[in-house]
Amino acid sequence: MVTQKSPYPYWFVLPAAIVFTVLFLVPTFASFWFSLTRWDLFSTQFIGLENYAQFLREPFLIQGTINTLIFAFATSATKTVIGLLLAVLLTSGIWAQGFLRTVVFFPVLVSTIGIGITFAALMHPTNGVINVALASIGLPGPGWLTDPVLALYSVIIVDLWKGVGLATLIYIAGLATISQDYYEAARMDGATRTQMFFRVTVPLVRPATVTVVTLSLIGGLRSFDLIWAMTRGGPGFSSDVLASVIYKQYQAGFYGLSTAGNVILFALIGLIILPLTVWFNRREVDL
Amino acid sequence: MTSVVLKDIRKSFGSLEVIKAIDLEVEKGEFCVFVGPSGCGKSTLLRMISGLETSTSGQIVIDGEDVTHAEPSKRGIAMVFQSYALYPHLTVRENIGFGLSLAGRPKSEIATKVEKTAESLQLAHLLDRKPKALSGGQRQRVAIGRAIIRNPKVFLFDEPLSNLDAALRSQMRMELTDLHAKLGATMIYVTHDQVEAMTMANKIVVLNAGRIEQVGSPMELYNNPVSPFVAGFIGSPKMNLYEGEVAAAERCGTYGIRPEHLILSKSGGKWRGQVRHIERLGADTVVYLDHPELKQIVARAPGDFEVASGDEIYAMPMSGKEHRFG
Amino acid sequence: MTRRQLYTGIVSLALASVIFILPFVFIFLTAVKSKQDASRLIFSWPVEWQFWENFLQVLQTRNYLLLLAYFNSTVITVFAVTLLVLFGAMVGYVLQRRPSPWNKVIYGFVLAGLMIPPAVVPTIWVLQSIGLFKTITGMIFIQVAYGLAFSVLLFRSFIATIPRDLDEAALIDGATPLQIFFRVILPLLKPVTVTVIVVQSISIFNDFTNPLYYLPGRENVTVQLTLYNFQGQFQTQFNLLFMNILLVTIPPLIIYIFFNRQIVAGMTAGAVKG
Ligand SMILES: Nc1ncnc2c1ncn2[C@@H]1O[C@H](COP(=O)(O)OP(=O)(O)OP(=O)(O)O)[C@@H](O)[C@H]1O
Ligand SMILES: [Mg+2]
Repeated sequence: MVTQKSPYPYWFVLPAAIVFTVLFLVPTFASFWFSLTRWDLFSTQFIGLENYAQFLREPFLIQGTINTLIFAFATSATKTVIGLLLAVLLTSGIWAQGFLRTVVFFPVLVSTIGIGITFAALMHPTNGVINVALASIGLPGPGWLTDPVLALYSVIIVDLWKGVGLATLIYIAGLATISQDYYEAARMDGATRTQMFFRVTVPLVRPATVTVVTLSLIGGLRSFDLIWAMTRGGPGFSSDVLASVIYKQYQAGFYGLSTAGNVILFALIGLIILPLTVWFNRREVDL
Repeated sequence: MTSVVLKDIRKSFGSLEVIKAIDLEVEKGEFCVFVGPSGCGKSTLLRMISGLETSTSGQIVIDGEDVTHAEPSKRGIAMVFQSYALYPHLTVRENIGFGLSLAGRPKSEIATKVEKTAESLQLAHLLDRKPKALSGGQRQRVAIGRAIIRNPKVFLFDEPLSNLDAALRSQMRMELTDLHAKLGATMIYVTHDQVEAMTMANKIVVLNAGRIEQVGSPMELYNNPVSPFVAGFIGSPKMNLYEGEVAAAERCGTYGIRPEHLILSKSGGKWRGQVRHIERLGADTVVYLDHPELKQIVARAPGDFEVASGDEIYAMPMSGKEHRFG
Repeated sequence: MTRRQLYTGIVSLALASVIFILPFVFIFLTAVKSKQDASRLIFSWPVEWQFWENFLQVLQTRNYLLLLAYFNSTVITVFAVTLLVLFGAMVGYVLQRRPSPWNKVIYGFVLAGLMIPPAVVPTIWVLQSIGLFKTITGMIFIQVAYGLAFSVLLFRSFIATIPRDLDEAALIDGATPLQIFFRVILPLLKPVTVTVIVVQSISIFNDFTNPLYYLPGRENVTVQLTLYNFQGQFQTQFNLLFMNILLVTIPPLIIYIFFNRQIVAGMTAGAVKG
C-alpha cells in the first residue's frame, strides 16, 4: 500500500485537542477521584463515598437535587409548549409579526445577571411594580422571592421569560420546513384549525421539539446565574439547585463535597438526556 | 516518444478492487480518451495519474520520470474537473493565477502570463468577474485557462463537457480539439459519451469493470472491435448483437451486425421481420423490426426510405461487415 | 392581511409590550432617575433626568472599575472568539474531509462538551498547576474549551457543503495543506464564521458563572462580575445599579440589530435535523 501525505493533516486538530483535553477532559475525569476525597486544593484525604452519603443525608442537599429537577422540567415543559404556540402565532402572518419576533427573542441575548436584578426589583414584596399593580386592582401580592414556597417558581417564571424566545425561534425554523401542502390536504379533508395543529403541526415539527426539549433540559439542569442573581438559593435553601450548592460548598472550602455535587449533576444529566435521546431516535424510526 | 506509462496499476477501496492490472502507454502529443460505462473506474484511473488517488500497486511514469509516489503538484499535470472547481471567492484573474501565486512568482510575471492565457481563450474582458457571474462555457474556459498556465506535460480532463447543453458541447468539442492541435500537449480525457470519444480522440481506451477492454484509434475500434462489449459501446445506434442459436448458426459465440450495415428491402433478404417502430432523423431513418428468432433488429436506412409501422420487410447484412466474436 | 390577522397582531403587540418591553423600559427609567426617586422602585416618569450624572458616576465608581471590566471582557471575548473560529474551523474541516475511526471518538467528545457541566474545582486545580488561575489568559482558554463543541458542529456542517473538487484543484495547483485551508477553505466559510463570531461573542460577553469561579479578585473583573458586585454595593442606589444594567444590555442590542440574521442562523442550527 502506497501512502501519501493527506491534505487534511491530523495536527490541525491538535491545538483544539490540547485546550479541550487540559481544561475540560482532565478536570472532568479528575472530578471522579476528587469527589471521593476531603480536599482543600493542597492536600487530599481519601474518604470513599462519604461525600455522596452526605448528599443523601443532608436535607438541604436533597432539596437542592429535587429543586434542580423541578426547575429543569418546569422550564423545559413551559418553554416547549409556549414556544410552539408563540411560533405558530408568529408565523400566521399577523400584523407586526417581525417586530414581535424580535421582542420575544431579545431577552435571550441580555445579561442574565441584569435580568435577575431587574426582576428581583420588579418582584419586591412591598414596593415592586408587580405587587403595586396587583394591589391597584385589589389583589394581595405574594412575596415572590421571600416566600420559601414560591421563590423557586418565581425564578422559573423569569427563566421562562428570558428563554422562551429561543424555543420560539427554533420552532419558527422548524415550522418553515413543513410544506404548505400538508395543510391544504388537511383542509380538503375538512380538518379544523385545532385538528390541523395537533394532527399536522405537532408531529411534523418534531425535530424542533427534540432540539428545544434537549437544549432546555440541559440548560435547566445546569442553571445557575439567574437563581444566584435573584435569590442566592434562598430564602434558606428553598431555591437552591445543584449548581448553587456546588458554588456554596466551593466558597465554604468543601472542595470534595462541591466536586461530588458536580459528579451528581453530571450523572443526572446523563441519566435524563441519554434515555431521552435514545427514545427520540427510536420514535423517529417508527414514523 | 511516450508521455504517460502505466505499469500493472491496481486500486482497491477496502476489499473492492476497482482498477485491475492496467498497462497503458500514451504517446507524446496524443489525445487519449478513456470511455466506459458508469462506475467502470475511468475517474479513478485518471485521479491515479493526477496523484489525487494513490495506487495500491504498480508504477506510473510521466515524461520518463517515475511519479508513482510524487505529489499531484509535482507531476507536471493539470486537471480540468467536471464541476470546473473554480474558487468562488476569487476573480477569474486570481483563479487563473492561483497556482503561480502559491509558488510565490513575482506579481508582474503572474499578470503577464494570466493576461496572455486569458487572451488565447477570449477571456480577457472577464478577468475581474467572479465565477458566479460567468456562463457555463465561460467557466469551462477559465478552468482550461487555469490548466494551460501551468504549462503541464499532460492535461487531464474528467467529463469536462457533461454540464453543458448540447449546442455548447459540440462547440467546446471543437475548441478543445483546436487547443490540442495548437499546444501539441498530451491530453487524457474521460467521458462516457462515445460521440466525444470518436470525434476527439487519436486513441480510445475502452474500460470495462476496471480492465482495459481494447485500445485503438476510433476507426480501428469501429471496424475491428475485439469483443461484443466494445462493439456495443462504439457506434450509434448500437450494433445488433445475437447469441445462442442465431450465433451458433454463424459458427460463433456472438454474432454482430451494425444497423448501418443492413440493407432493407420489400422483396427479399436474409431475415423477414415486422416493422414495430420508426425514428425519422432527417438524413437517416432508424427502423426497428420484430423477428421471431432474433427478437429485435435495428437498421439504418436513408432518410426518405418508405416504410410504415406493421409492414413486413426483409433485412440483409452487407457482406464483409459482419462481426463474429468467440 | 385579513382583519383577523390585524386584530390578533394588535392584541399580541399589546401583551408583548407589557410582558417583554416593560421591564426594559423600567430599566431605562430607573437608570435616569435621581437616587431617592429610584429607590421607590416604582414604574414612573423620572422627576428629574440624570442620565449623564448617573452615567459618569457609574463609570467613576471604585476608580473606574467598569472601564477596566469592559476592557477585560473585550479582550477575553476577542481572543477567545478568534481562537474558537480558527480551532473550530480546523477541527470541523479535518472531521468532515477525512473519514477515520477517530471521528467517532471526536464526536463523542463534542457531544460531551455540549452536555457535561464543567467540573469547576478540579478545573481550578488544573489552572493553578499551569499558572493560569485568576488570569485573563486562563479565562480565554476556558472559554475556548467550553465553546469548541458548538463551533466544531457549526463549521463541520457548513464545510460539508463546500465541494471537495476545490481542495483537489488547489492541491494540483501546488497548495500545501495550510494554504488549502487558509486560502481556499477559510474564505469560503465567511457566512458561518460570522454566525460563530456573533453567537459566541454574546455568550462569552454575558458569561457570569465562569469568571465568578476562575477570575476572582479585583484586577481581572469582567462586566458581568462588576454588575454582580455592584448589586451588593448599590443596595440604596438603584439608579446607578440600573444604569449599569443598561450599559451591559446595550452591546448585545447593537449586535442584534446588525447581525439579526446570523444570530438566528446560529441559534436554530440543528432545529431541522434534531
Ligand atoms: N472513495 C471511494 N471509496 C470507495 N469506492 C469508490 C471510491 N471512489 C470510487 N469508488 C468506486 O469505484 C468504482 C469506480 O468509480 P469511478 O468514479 O472511477 O467510476 P467512473 O468510471 O468515473 O464512473 P462515472 O462515469 O459514473 O463517473 C465505482 O464502483 C465506485 O463506486
Ligand atoms: Mg467519473
